[in-house]
Amino acid sequence: MQADDGRGEAAFVLVGLAATAVKEARERVRSAIRNSMLEFPHRRLTVNLAPAELRKQSSGLDLPIAVAVALSVMRRAAQPRSAFLGELALDGTVGHVDGVLVAVGWLRRQGYERVFVPAVDAAEAALVDGLEVIPCATLAGVVAHIIGAVAIAPQPPTAPMFEGEAAAFEHDLAEVHGQEEARRALEVAAAGGHHLLLSGPPGAGKTMLARCLPGILPPLDLEEALEVAQIRSLLGDLPAGRPLEWTRPFRAPHHGVSMAGLIGGGAGLAQPGEISRAHHGVLFLDELAEFQANVLQALRQPLEIGRVAITRSGGSVTYPARFTLVAATNPCPCGWAGDGRRSCRCTPAMIDAYQRRLSGPLLDRIDLKVGVRRVPLDALASEPVGESSAPVRERVLSARRRQMERQGCLNAQLKPLRLRQLASLDTASRHTLERWAEQRGLTARGFHRAWRVARTSADLEGTDTIAERHILEALGYRLHDVAA
Amino acid sequence: MAIVGSRRPSPYGEAVAEQLAADLARAKVIVVSGLALGIDAAAHRGALNGGGVTVAVMGTGVDIVYPAAHSRLAEEILSAGGALVSQFPDGTVPRRQNFPARNWTMAAISDVVVVVEAGEGSGALITAEAALHLHKEVMAVPGSVFSALSVGTHGLLRDGAGLVQNARDVIAVLGLGGEVLDDPLQAPERLGFALQPERDGIVAHLSDVLAMSAADIARKLQLPVSEVLGRLTALELDGAVRRHEAGYIRALRRGKERA
Repeated sequence: MQADDGRGEAAFVLVGLAATAVKEARERVRSAIRNSMLEFPHRRLTVNLAPAELRKQSSGLDLPIAVAVALSVMRRAAQPRSAFLGELALDGTVGHVDGVLVAVGWLRRQGYERVFVPAVDAAEAALVDGLEVIPCATLAGVVAHIIGAVAIAPQPPTAPMFEGEAAAFEHDLAEVHGQEEARRALEVAAAGGHHLLLSGPPGAGKTMLARCLPGILPPLDLEEALEVAQIRSLLGDLPAGRPLEWTRPFRAPHHGVSMAGLIGGGAGLAQPGEISRAHHGVLFLDELAEFQANVLQALRQPLEIGRVAITRSGGSVTYPARFTLVAATNPCPCGWAGDGRRSCRCTPAMIDAYQRRLSGPLLDRIDLKVGVRRVPLDALASEPVGESSAPVRERVLSARRRQMERQGCLNAQLKPLRLRQLASLDTASRHTLERWAEQRGLTARGFHRAWRVARTSADLEGTDTIAERHILEALGYRLHDVAA
Repeated sequence: MAIVGSRRPSPYGEAVAEQLAADLARAKVIVVSGLALGIDAAAHRGALNGGGVTVAVMGTGVDIVYPAAHSRLAEEILSAGGALVSQFPDGTVPRRQNFPARNWTMAAISDVVVVVEAGEGSGALITAEAALHLHKEVMAVPGSVFSALSVGTHGLLRDGAGLVQNARDVIAVLGLGGEVLDDPLQAPERLGFALQPERDGIVAHLSDVLAMSAADIARKLQLPVSEVLGRLTALELDGAVRRHEAGYIRALRRGKERA
């Protein structure tokens, strides 16, 4: 940012590919400076936003422009290695900017020593250590600080307050009656990082089960919490007082969601989508069959590599997107196949076609598929109350620790080669898989799917070797009589 | 006579349809059905096993086999001296509205219609209704009072349809003399569908009529569901148990051949 007031007609010119939002900065800057009792140049003023070929988009450039202008009139300069970020109101108040956390993190990596941010975003910025954070309330205050007249106290580093006892989760497994198979599948999914498909009629409790998943996952560690905060920061979603959250995100986009909404996108520079909002958490897709096919297709890559690259006119951006997918579906078009009370009106051909629509590359990446049955209201009272989330979470944590110690990642992420190295199968297990392949056909994907889940089942039990019973359980996690 | 029923029957229903058809075929009765999934296919197969003649009444042109999975069955029906018949011109594709018409035709060419398993709203009940209108005999096989698949058949019985416990009941109504067939008391063994002793006792807790979920069994036996799931999968490999919609159902397997 460079300001030069010199000879020529009175004009305020911004050069450097400024988008309209930035061009509007001229009015805000002019007003803010005047209302801060600072002098605005009477002659021609040119502000250069470098580098020239990069398109500038943020309204957060108000503050740096105003500071550059004000200092240029005073023939003063700011300290070297200082950065400025903030929007200006007409009266000179410094306002919030999205993405401060991300910007400050990057500035520190670039070697900046001091950053001036809006006061309301200071706590967020102070999560980054290694540079001085100056909270700015007004333009006048900033200038006064720079010229040494009135100093602003730097923001103390924001201590990540770890809530020792995990906060009471909104949805506890104790609220789920019966559903032992689905609860077990949820535990296996949590323990190994596997994706899960729940199939059942309306009202069976699929959504409720999905919402219990964050509660049985370990709380975020500091690095993960910071990543989640960064994404929320970019979306302007970070509460001012508490920038760090320790519960895993749970996102449940409606099936009408657009490609940009789910994956990320939008005009200019791409914004993070639901999958990034679900980073380190759970993405719940209810009524999977209703989602647009092309939108579901786009999930394949992030499911595979845990991030998504989006290119727009403003440039290319990569957002993290490592989440656990929980999908819910009806067993057939009318939804009632297999229900005890309501009869299904679908022909076998309709059911077949419906299930075939669901199959494919996306379902191939879902390791666990389980049926959820509806418990009629009058029978609810006699359904046993199961474990609460706490003991399940303990088991999940132990299993995850075992995986990290053994292989540095979760079982769901194991590629075939590593599976072979880390999870040898005993003879009985191998034999079982061969018999299964013979009788029903088993694709290579299905084979490795069963293997990964068996590895998690063994980890939950605490055993090192995979036994036949683990493989048998793993093969059971499928819907209907299709090749595993 | 016609044997009709659900396209997604229980193993019990399939076994009854197949054995009934086999016994009737041996008694030289022509078995008519619709070549559909489930009871129809079991009836045709049973008739073929019994060395008899079976007729498939189609909801398509005779040149199209629907469902495609039954192409082989259709060929076998023809090689055994049976017939594929249709009121629809060649090239007619399977359309929803063809099937009620086909059901009427089945009733029309039969003297007796036996419904083996039918849920509420099943197409087999249309065939039964057609039979009544055409003054044919309607009979039904009873099932479990807990099974949704017997709601239709029990309704027919309630309305006065004849009860079928074995082929002899049908033969009596057809007014045929001749060979005395199975005494109902001995039927289970002579049916050839003896329940095999299985390697895992858990199978005794499953039903051949009603599907149970792994959760149901785990709760009943107070076992961890992960163990139950594994054991049920092993039984699937052995063929002792089948997946049926949302649960597991005991498969009925053939015992020794009848003497």
